[in-house]
Amino acid sequence: MVRILFSFFLLATFCMAPARATELNLQELIRSVEDQHWGISSQAVMEMSIKTTNWERTTVMDAWSLGRDYFLIRISEPAKERGVATLKVEDEVWNYLPKVDRTIRIPPSMMGGAWMGSHITNNDLVKASHVDEDYLFKMLEETGATWLVEGLPREDAVVIWGKIVYLIDKSNRVPIRVDYFDEEGVKVRTMEFDRVTTVGDREVPMRMTIRPLEKPGELTVMDYRELAFDVGLDKRFFSLRQLKAR
Amino acid sequence: MLFTLALRNLWRNRRRTLLTLSAMVVSSALLILSLGIFSGMLQDMLASATEQYYGHMLVNREGYQEDRDLYLNLSSSRALDEVLAGEPGITAASPRLRSFGLLSHADKSYPAELLGVIPQQERQVTTFAEHIAAGTYLPENLENGAVLGAGLAKKLGVKPGDELVFLTQAADGSIGNDLLYVTGIFKTDSSGDKSLVLVGLPWLQQVMALPDKVHEYSIRLSDPRLATEERIRLDGRLPAGLEALDWGMMMPEMREAVASYDVSRFIVVIILYVATGLGILNTFYMSVMERTREFGIAMALGMPPGHIRLLIFLEAFLLGIFALVCGVGIGLLLTLSMQTQGIDLSSYVTPITYAGGTILPRLRTVLEIGNLLVPALLLLLVCLVAAMLPAHRAAKLQPIEAIRED
Repeated sequence: MVRILFSFFLLATFCMAPARATELNLQELIRSVEDQHWGISSQAVMEMSIKTTNWERTTVMDAWSLGRDYFLIRISEPAKERGVATLKVEDEVWNYLPKVDRTIRIPPSMMGGAWMGSHITNNDLVKASHVDEDYLFKMLEETGATWLVEGLPREDAVVIWGKIVYLIDKSNRVPIRVDYFDEEGVKVRTMEFDRVTTVGDREVPMRMTIRPLEKPGELTVMDYRELAFDVGLDKRFFSLRQLKAR
Repeated sequence: MLFTLALRNLWRNRRRTLLTLSAMVVSSALLILSLGIFSGMLQDMLASATEQYYGHMLVNREGYQEDRDLYLNLSSSRALDEVLAGEPGITAASPRLRSFGLLSHADKSYPAELLGVIPQQERQVTTFAEHIAAGTYLPENLENGAVLGAGLAKKLGVKPGDELVFLTQAADGSIGNDLLYVTGIFKTDSSGDKSLVLVGLPWLQQVMALPDKVHEYSIRLSDPRLATEERIRLDGRLPAGLEALDWGMMMPEMREAVASYDVSRFIVVIILYVATGLGILNTFYMSVMERTREFGIAMALGMPPGHIRLLIFLEAFLLGIFALVCGVGIGLLLTLSMQTQGIDLSSYVTPITYAGGTILPRLRTVLEIGNLLVPALLLLLVCLVAAMLPAHRAAKLQPIEAIRED
């Protein structure tokens, strides 16, 4: 009896100890993956190329961020849309339209809409930064070089995706691919990362490719031309006044 | 001889005949009137459902209405104009471009559906111009005027004269945005009040980067109830890649509502005529009972039972014909008198919206031939059916016993 209890205890410790350890680690890991492009503060020049069945276009944007809750992105090319800007302050998203010189707040009902015509939604901008808080993570598979981590939404969380699966490079903790599933478990979007470069003290993928699977052939490519971390911005920079500046 | 006899028999008990006759006349006249009112309500409902958004029929690229895909657009062409002009049932057509986007005023923004139209053509197919609650309908000369639904205007907090920003994704992927000026607010009490905005077609074509393109032609028919037939006829003549849709296809729930109206109409007819039929049955039964002795004598004198039966049927038929002529006449007069004027109930009832259509608070009739024909023929039928039992009883009488009876 004692032996049985003892072995049961042993078994239990073997099972639980690593699980508890990885749960903590996994949340940290996903947090670092989701925040990879935001430092304490960051400044970047991005090129966004969008290809759909009906049109193709490339825009160049200047971007500033502070932590995970503040960012400002302004279009510099093409000329027709120069100055169009998006400001995110916590859960709110604002757009500035220089043609009519007006600022528009994106209402919650439009958060699912495409951001600047891309395959990124306004929700991605607002919610992606909370993924590590809204989902529970589980190690699906570990190989010599990669981790495969599955994220399922917490019961009380208001989320967009039914499941997220991360394929992460163990050597530098950089994602290789992220798959997004809807509530029915159908894979609807993939995001791939490459061109890993060292910026400051960390390794960052400089290019990401987003493919909506329900629209084969369409994609959005975000390419960081320049990226710098810890550039000394504070909250006051992320204002409606700054949104309108050109 | 039987005919004269039947007439005389009817005239013999004048009071009873007149009473039955008046019951038949009143019931058929009222039935004709209520069917007319039913038709009137149906017409109001159909008109509000179709003429406050779709129109009676649409012509668009095949499959456009399923996803409202921005790229399923068409250029207005002479070939199409000629086809539409060549249909005698079509009284007007309005080209429209549709765009979904964000409408914003001050710090409020809401998703909205913009419909780019040519004002004077649009007002021939939809009735927004008659539902302006504030300001004016889209003027011809203002490029960026907008008329929006009362619900949307309230949410945005705008009134005529205010300015709006519209933001959408244009057809070339760019960010389409421009200013609009509110010229008017419409209130139709339908769902369009919450999200619909009418704007000028050229303005929307420019914002959407879709020069000279439209998504659909909204069509007005002289008789919307013939939309299915008209759609089938038009479908065969349209240029390749285009399709015609009738209102029943756009609003299946409205088609169901029309069908359920027909059923309730039918039930009213049945109830009224069962009651009338029982009244007639009673009259004839009484008259046969009273004349038992008389029939006995007639049979004893050599009248065959078949003739007795025929006599009673003839009486019923004659009564039916009288009732029919008077009833239809009075019903027609009532219907015509309420066709133009109607009774306004707006101080007692509010409009009821059902299946996308609005039933207006008024009693107004619409004259349809079927509404006269059906009650008239049914009345005659009910008369003859009600006479069947008494006639049968009279024909089966035994002369000896019948004569003995008091």
